[in-house]
Amino acid sequence: MRVVVADDIMLTREGIVRLLRDAGIDVVAQAEDAEALLREVRQALPDVAVVDIRMPPTHTDEGLAAAQAIRADHPEIGVLVLSQYVEPSYAMRLIQDHPERVGYLLKERVSDIATVVDALRRIVDGETVIDPTIVARLLGRRRRVDPLAGLTDREREVLGLVAEGMSNRAIAARLFVTERTVEAHVTQILLKLGLAESPDQHRRVLAVLTFLRA
Amino acid sequence: MDTQPGGCHNHGVPHMSASWARPARIAAAPIGLAIAVGAFLIAQGPGVFTTYAGRSGLAAGLTVAAGLGLVLAGLLASLTSRAGPAGDLAVLAGIVWFAPVWVGWQVGPPLVRSLGMLVAGFVFPLLFYLVLAFPGGRPPGGFTRALVWIVCLEAALAALGLALFRDPYLDPACWSNCTDNVFLVRSVPALARAVGATDRWFTAAAATALLTVCAWRLLARKRLARIVLLPVALPAMVFAAAICAHAVALYRMPLEDPGNPAFLFIFEIQAIAVILLAAGLAADAVTAVAHRRGVARIVANLGEAPAPGSLELALARALGDPELSIAYWLAAVQRYVDARGRPVAEPVATPGRLVTALVQQDTRVAVVSHTATLPELERELGPAIRLGLENERLQAEVLFQLGEVRASRARIVQTGDAERRRLERNLHDGAQQRLLALSYDIRLAHANAVAESDDQARLLLEHALADVQASLGELRELAHGIYPAILTEAGLGPALATLADSAAIPVELDDAVQNRHPEVAETAAYLMVAEAIEDAAGRGAGYAAVTAAYRDGYLTVTVEDDGRSRTSSMTAIADRVGALGGVLTVEPTWLGVEIPCG
Repeated sequence: MRVVVADDIMLTREGIVRLLRDAGIDVVAQAEDAEALLREVRQALPDVAVVDIRMPPTHTDEGLAAAQAIRADHPEIGVLVLSQYVEPSYAMRLIQDHPERVGYLLKERVSDIATVVDALRRIVDGETVIDPTIVARLLGRRRRVDPLAGLTDREREVLGLVAEGMSNRAIAARLFVTERTVEAHVTQILLKLGLAESPDQHRRVLAVLTFLRA
Repeated sequence: MDTQPGGCHNHGVPHMSASWARPARIAAAPIGLAIAVGAFLIAQGPGVFTTYAGRSGLAAGLTVAAGLGLVLAGLLASLTSRAGPAGDLAVLAGIVWFAPVWVGWQVGPPLVRSLGMLVAGFVFPLLFYLVLAFPGGRPPGGFTRALVWIVCLEAALAALGLALFRDPYLDPACWSNCTDNVFLVRSVPALARAVGATDRWFTAAAATALLTVCAWRLLARKRLARIVLLPVALPAMVFAAAICAHAVALYRMPLEDPGNPAFLFIFEIQAIAVILLAAGLAADAVTAVAHRRGVARIVANLGEAPAPGSLELALARALGDPELSIAYWLAAVQRYVDARGRPVAEPVATPGRLVTALVQQDTRVAVVSHTATLPELERELGPAIRLGLENERLQAEVLFQLGEVRASRARIVQTGDAERRRLERNLHDGAQQRLLALSYDIRLAHANAVAESDDQARLLLEHALADVQASLGELRELAHGIYPAILTEAGLGPALATLADSAAIPVELDDAVQNRHPEVAETAAYLMVAEAIEDAAGRGAGYAAVTAAYRDGYLTVTVEDDGRSRTSSMTAIADRVGALGGVLTVEPTWLGVEIPCG
């Protein structure tokens, strides 16, 4: 798998590159700002661009803007945004327009390299990836009337994996059940939460995140 | 006309303050009347061919009305106001106005006719002065003052030249007096003719200047000042035009003849203009009296702690001058402020508007910019108003200082916020990145240990990694607590949503928080909500409901909960919101802030 890595801080960028190479990922180019990233992506045409959310000049959300630009210009190239922020609104903004082939992971997740490699694979396969910490925080959010109260433990677990962007097949593999069972769970969950069942598995991530945030 | 520090404007020497001034003015009335009656009788008898007044009843009536009108307006002005010599000069102008009639007194004493000839030329300089000095009582500015001096000097030289060298008997153009000149030293007809012609053209030029100045003043001023100027400036322009017409008529018909319709018409227009001018001066004097009474009626309510600016309002009402403004002088900071303590520019006088510096014990208290109908405002202010002014100045000073303190508080808060933001960034870009790099290195070392089947190292590195991960999590929460980056990047709504994600109690946000507002207001609102939620959780609340609304330049944020009644007065929020000029309202289970977003 070929990736481009963009991070303005050399220390972390090189750490990420070493870990990825150690895991057998082909890092074809590195960039330290959004402009260089877009140039490298145009030239190298990688499978995925791994992008830090904070980059010059304003060090705010340049990474998000660059990710959206890449998704708009190169539908076949995936983007994995690495962030220091447990901010669901950033993640939701990322998957708003192009929900497939994108991911939002916390930067510290990179040290768990297997998770990152898995995320990259899922992105290449066209899935969406949302960091489990964000999903856990949304699921744990305190509510006056808890709409999740009616879910069984298993259903909550499935809901969490759906929110992380997993496909039914991936969830089935994770939970050691059949895909049909997962489908049944999902139907039941969406029914209980009053969400319309969407044939598009990418759209349902945003729908679930939006629901959990409301 | 600039204000002079430590003194009232341009009244260094009180005018005609001697004890004989008042009787002299009162005597001017019967003298003026006698001269007018005399002129009328001359016009009806011996001067019927040698005066304009003798040509028709209308001309006689206009002559008498114009002269007496000037005397009357002058008396009104000088008896009611002490501003400048304008009033007395108007009386003089009224008396001198009759001089040409007395010159035409065919059988009169030669001395009287010669004297009349000597002073007749001063009608124009006197009126010239009166118009340019209106409404302040003195000509404003060096240019107009210089003009007045030149015109007076020329009139004096012309009168002197004619008195000493003009023999009326040898003057082919003589008409009103062809016999008498008691002042004649030597008859030089050519010189006398030259002086006469020069005087005529000079006067015409001066009249043109007067016309121009009046027109410019009317055009260049604001509406209010124009209304004050108009009653005098407009007749003055007609008068000046008539003077010019007279010079042109004399050029074409060197022998002046009151029986000629053109000459008579010009004279009538001139007389009507003078009557209107006198009426304008009189009306102004009457208005000044009304204003003075109004000012005297103002009572400063010292006992009731009047609202800032109430004195300005009272003076404005008394003078009928909505543009009146008082600027208070703060010696400590060397600047002017209004009654509310806001810095203002130093008031400057313009035609129609005067600036009066009010001084108490050699220190400037305030400067008033007011309509020119009350030139000596300072003298009209009673002791109560003076106390009120001093009181209001002190109040303005306090308000000004309050404004300074408020601005300084706001700066302190903003500096603190900027510092928080800087700290958050430093944590992100410094410590957090190093810890991340460290965690990556540990992971690589861990992979090595696994590959070499070094179980002891593997376990140690797994522990280390867990510790670093935990540190990263704590550091992230710390940075977020210092300043949530999303507040700057995405605004109050997303920041509050994140706050709600991890709050200890359910937090409900209304949709209106999604709009963007100035950063300083958003920060204050965010920190207020954060503290209110923490406070609510501490009081055992089951939820907190947050609303935000923007109206009329204010961001209003409320937090309501169902916990026990609060005992804290939320000082930290109150200080922060107060520093931004906002208001915090604290109720047992409800908090509301209004933050100006200006």
